[in-house]
Amino acid sequence: MKKSNAVPVLLFIFIASCQPSYQSLSVQYKDYRITNSEEIDSSYIVFLEPYKDSVNSTMNIILGEAETTLQKKQPEGELGNFLADALLVMSRKKMGKAVDAAFLNYNGIRSSGLAQGNITVGKIFELMPFDNVINMQQLKGDVLQQFLDHTAALGGWPVSGLTMKIKDNRATDVQIQGQPIDHDKYYNIVNSDYITNGGDNCVMLKNIPVESTGYLVRDAFMEYIQQEQQGGKKINAAIENRVTYAE
Amino acid sequence: MLNRRKFLINAAVIAGGALAGAAKPVEDDTVERLTILHTNDVHSRLEPFPMDAGKNAGLGGVAARAGLIHSVREKEKNVLLLDAGDIFQGTPYFNLYKGEPEIKAMTKMGYDAATMGNHDFDGGMENFSTQLRNAGFPIVLCNYDFTGTPLEQKTVPYKIFKKGRLKIGVTGVGIKMEGLVPENLFGKTKYLDPVQHANATAEFLKRKQGCDMVICLSHLGFGYKEPDKMCDEILSKESEHIDLILGGHTHTFMDHPAVFKNRNGNDVIVNQVGWAGIMLGRLDFVFEKKKKKNLADAHTVVIGEKSSE
Repeated sequence: MKKSNAVPVLLFIFIASCQPSYQSLSVQYKDYRITNSEEIDSSYIVFLEPYKDSVNSTMNIILGEAETTLQKKQPEGELGNFLADALLVMSRKKMGKAVDAAFLNYNGIRSSGLAQGNITVGKIFELMPFDNVINMQQLKGDVLQQFLDHTAALGGWPVSGLTMKIKDNRATDVQIQGQPIDHDKYYNIVNSDYITNGGDNCVMLKNIPVESTGYLVRDAFMEYIQQEQQGGKKINAAIENRVTYAE
Repeated sequence: MLNRRKFLINAAVIAGGALAGAAKPVEDDTVERLTILHTNDVHSRLEPFPMDAGKNAGLGGVAARAGLIHSVREKEKNVLLLDAGDIFQGTPYFNLYKGEPEIKAMTKMGYDAATMGNHDFDGGMENFSTQLRNAGFPIVLCNYDFTGTPLEQKTVPYKIFKKGRLKIGVTGVGIKMEGLVPENLFGKTKYLDPVQHANATAEFLKRKQGCDMVICLSHLGFGYKEPDKMCDEILSKESEHIDLILGGHTHTFMDHPAVFKNRNGNDVIVNQVGWAGIMLGRLDFVFEKKKKKNLADAHTVVIGEKSSE
């Protein structure tokens, strides 16, 4: 008797547990800004200490100085211009080749700006945390045009050695080293290996042979800043209408 | 014998409680609350941004976030702490320690679950797997097939949390790696359709597991210029059983959560809190016990800004 009673009870519980029994009615949202002005948990400071000490010993080294704050912007920003110039200068130096233009993928610059004042190793690591190397490719003008159209559709990428306008997601009025692009001519173009391997959907570059010395993009930035510092120059860059929107 | 006896006693207590409840409501079981705290794209930001001329100076860091999480947990009974991926990469801590302090700090903060972002591949899958040994929380992910990779069986398609009287199912979706993650880093990992797999997982959680709510942690991105590119908006509109999407990847700061209608006309809430741990998102849900009637009605959720405490 007792047994036969227990079965339907358990069955009922089983069925009930398999159906949602509550439904959300309302939600209140709040985004807290983490300002460090309120209660902080100091046990995390202690936890980070051993890591922080060795991070700081290398990352606090000062490489040079930024004269003004350089912003990351599209279609063109001061930070992008400075970094692309550094990439062009250093890749020419390391490869001993006549590089025509150097590019950086906009999303690969991981800081929104480089603040006025001392530039530390740590700041360059934050800006370029990836261990990407510099690759050079000989691109035929028509392939370069496809690549430029792709960067135009993505809102414009930092570049040195080339100017262009963006019209309807395409690159127009392209000038390389001051000359209009020739779709039959070959150009020496520098990108990070991430891009030459087809990253950011740069499929048009993927199967084209690369030349590489294994030189890190980040090292190019750091050595360029040190070089400028040794020459008594502060880091600065301006908007030069390298990449603009066509009216 | 003892168990049966215990069962009978419990049954009597429950029955007694129910009777007492009918006469005098001792405990109201018609309403239940859940507080969700969430982050995304923290990108190794263990310390606050340095005090320089940058616009984020002094913001973020694990010490302040942990303090805030602690104070919320002191006041609220049912709290879930979740992350939508890209835990790794962005400060020299990652270059030097490959994610160890990030995972350890999240474990110390009591994260309940996280999903995987594209940059969590950055140290290689072997490294992510190694770092996960320190994780006190699961990586929920239903649309990557890791068969034959170092991450095989290191992630779970979902996790169910019991919070008070609520049963909450949490799943996760990752972004397409091709053209985004270097091929040598994702190796044999197969990207599977996020809509199809999130829907199947959510249906299982709702229909078979009886979850009251399904949360999808997403690293697909909130939305793109290309209208057909897979994103949280598309996922939400093509979903059936997902109630909430906590997103990432696009580093989107939102003034308020977005609401989209799913295939059945029900509300799906989508939220994302920028990046770098500058923000901690909070969503306080109120649940009502389901009535058998009104099942055909489309489910809507009233959204409001939480007044300051």
